[in-house]
Amino acid sequence: MNEDDLALRNLTYAGFVELGRAPTAAEVAALTGRGQAEILSGWERLHAGHALVLDPATGDIRMANPFSGVPTAYRVQAAGRWWYANCAWDAFGICAALHSDGRIETSCPDCGEPLHVAVAGQRPDDDSLLFHCLVPAARWWDDIVFT
Amino acid sequence: MNLFRSEEHIGRWLGGREPGATIPVGKLSELAHAWWDDRLSPAWRPHTPNGNQAILGRLGLTADFWRLPHP
Repeated sequence: MNEDDLALRNLTYAGFVELGRAPTAAEVAALTGRGQAEILSGWERLHAGHALVLDPATGDIRMANPFSGVPTAYRVQAAGRWWYANCAWDAFGICAALHSDGRIETSCPDCGEPLHVAVAGQRPDDDSLLFHCLVPAARWWDDIVFT
Repeated sequence: MNLFRSEEHIGRWLGGREPGATIPVGKLSELAHAWWDDRLSPAWRPHTPNGNQAILGRLGLTADFWRLPHP
């Protein structure tokens, strides 16, 4: 990843945090003074380097891990607003990335009952819950959205 | 990558599929904080496979399941 792409990546993440959602290419273009096509091609290189995940149909940001660009089953309240995480790991990751305590709201995929977890000092308040990862680490990026 | 109430709930949800790996939520939080802590830092650089593998190893996640691809 070259320095220009790294700067674009950092600006995109900063835009995500500022807006509370995935920025559009037009918004990032306006911040940088670059053209929208240049932003999109930079995002494609970041996608190839697993630094962002783009929606293949639209080219929009699908994931800026741990943040999700689309609604998911994992909602996180941290640093004064609500976010969507890509999965349970990323839900804790949002608290980590923001260096914030937080609250995670989701439901058990088996029974559908709500699960609420408060995170304080990097610790969950309910130690009884379990995290299950279905896909082995070697195959996480084969289909990161499924993972 | 989901949270569940118990092993029983995981087993039902799998419905005969081969299980992956299960860890307590406390360890997940440790893992997430080690993995994502630098994500918004202006000094962020891409993690190397070895660096990420070391994070997993420090948390005792050393089984083959947790072995990352190394290009």
